[in-house]
Amino acid sequence: MALLEVKDLKVYYKTLRGCVKAVDSVSLNIEKGRALGIAGESGCGKTSMAMAILRLLPVNGKVYGGLVMLDGVDILSMDDEEFRESVRWKRISMISQGAMNALNPVHTVGEQIIEAILTHEDVTRSEAVRRGNDLLEMVGIHPGRSKDYPHEFSGGMKQRIVIAMALSCNPDIVIADEPTTALDVMVQSQILKAIGDLRNALDLSLMLITHDLSIIAQTCDDIAVMYGGKIIEYGSVVNVYGNPKHPYSIGLLKSFPNIKAEKAPIISMPGSPPDLLSPPAGCKFHPRCPLAKGICLEKEPELAKVHPDNHRVACHNTDMLKKGTDIWNQ
Amino acid sequence: MVYSRYLLKRLIYALMVLFIIITFNFIIFRLIPGDATKMIIDPKFTSEAKAELKREFGLHEPTHVQYIKYVGNMIKFDLGISFSTGRFVINELKERLPNTMVLFLTSFVLTVVIGISIGVYTASKQGTFSDGFVTGAGLFTYAVPAFWIQLLLLMLFGYYIPILPVHGTISAPQPYGLFLQILDRVHHLILPAGSNVIVGFGSWALYTRNTMLEALDQDYIVTAKAKGLKENIILRHHALRSVLPPIITLVFGALPGVVSGAVITETIFSWHGVGKYLTDAIMMQDYPAAQGAFYLIALAVVVCNFAADIIYGFVDPRIRIGEGGKE
Repeated sequence: MALLEVKDLKVYYKTLRGCVKAVDSVSLNIEKGRALGIAGESGCGKTSMAMAILRLLPVNGKVYGGLVMLDGVDILSMDDEEFRESVRWKRISMISQGAMNALNPVHTVGEQIIEAILTHEDVTRSEAVRRGNDLLEMVGIHPGRSKDYPHEFSGGMKQRIVIAMALSCNPDIVIADEPTTALDVMVQSQILKAIGDLRNALDLSLMLITHDLSIIAQTCDDIAVMYGGKIIEYGSVVNVYGNPKHPYSIGLLKSFPNIKAEKAPIISMPGSPPDLLSPPAGCKFHPRCPLAKGICLEKEPELAKVHPDNHRVACHNTDMLKKGTDIWNQ
Repeated sequence: MVYSRYLLKRLIYALMVLFIIITFNFIIFRLIPGDATKMIIDPKFTSEAKAELKREFGLHEPTHVQYIKYVGNMIKFDLGISFSTGRFVINELKERLPNTMVLFLTSFVLTVVIGISIGVYTASKQGTFSDGFVTGAGLFTYAVPAFWIQLLLLMLFGYYIPILPVHGTISAPQPYGLFLQILDRVHHLILPAGSNVIVGFGSWALYTRNTMLEALDQDYIVTAKAKGLKENIILRHHALRSVLPPIITLVFGALPGVVSGAVITETIFSWHGVGKYLTDAIMMQDYPAAQGAFYLIALAVVVCNFAADIIYGFVDPRIRIGEGGKE
């Protein structure tokens, strides 16, 4: 049994102009100690899915179907208070999007780590302080600085503090939503290295949400590519990067340079992500897809296995791709 | 280091403001039409007697000499003698100041505490009926003139349902025993203080609600929720705590307005305080008394502002940047 199992999850937002299906029947698994990367453009439902798992959706967002199982227990139907006490941070913690603002400016960083420990565990304050200091040390912040306020740290340091905070209650799984987006490349690589090291040391499971495929390649075991609220390709990083099957994944992988491979033109996919208020019929990607044909306009493709190694793709044209044609440069 | 330099700057600024107020206080009362001496000098007096009286009050000297003497007196808190009672103004003010302080502090503390609590509550219940109702009520009492509500309350609880005294600070004759006397004072306090709370809570509630909603939208609140903190800890410890610096500044910034509001409240409820003293003095063209009351109120305003500056530095750690020296 997988540690975290998301089955057929549907997250819809009620807006004045209609219902937005931000997450539409998404299923995925994360095993103990594995890292899953969720890739996709802005507005494809990545963050909504994460927020639904943590039950932190804004007021107008609701889960309209599906299950989220943690160790076989459905956490979406759990009582609010029980969920707060036994799941949040203790089992699933979060490194939030724009983590630069994830720290409250009026409390010391140490206090913000300690309060999480004290909320969930029956330890004395001095024990919590000691653990807070250990955590800071683990992410490379001098424990003496725990009495400082967030504005007294640089962006990269704040990010590391947020990571320390996420680990404070020894969670089983950490959801990192764009953990490095606001940081420059150097700091980004330090942070990713820190996340990777900690993951190995603590046998953590990780769900890493990003629009940057290179981050997933560096940090994760598996990848799920999302488009228009659905997963369109899902598999191990080796398989998906080595042998992408969905035209969208192929396009994404070709849209940034590979420093090791020989020179290849960088492509940009024309068009923009679908308007989820009125998504196109059939495959949501068909208006941008160079391979679109009759059936794509009518029938939405299922996520189907294309490789024994559980590599799955939602596309009607996977057969055509086997020929290895360069679909984006014709 | 930076903080103390900041404080010194604020102190100098406060003293300058005080000096300007003193000067205005001098000029204003000399611009008011009518002869300052008319109230005390009987027209039937001989001109020698008039000149003698004027000399006694120092009004025979040229304006600039009067001014210099006046500034000196103000610094020594020598506020002169009341035209109408012939007593030292400072003594009369000393008698009334406790009454004003009681009314003022009670209403202000209640207003701020109730207003902020309501703001926090409505922010946590955003969009519900109770939010709409309380916010609407606050907006209404904030928008209508204070004296109107106060007169209505006076009518309601003094006449139609006569359960509260309509004027004064204490009953005459006073009841026996300390406990009953205190009870009597509280009884008199309910209407003026209560009406102040009704008139004043709205702006606090609305401001707190808005800043709270803004704060509740921040990433760090999402983090706090994800951390599994209890709802009321998130509200108080994270959201309210982070919007407290501007609210506290406002609290002290609002004190001057409350002081001037006290003038109206005291007049409406015949409260034996400094505000009533000021209006009475102006009605009777009792210049030294009015000037003294004015001076006292202005002093209170300046002190309140200075206190706000000091407090602000304590509440917002970002102002103390220089002291940590960590940046």
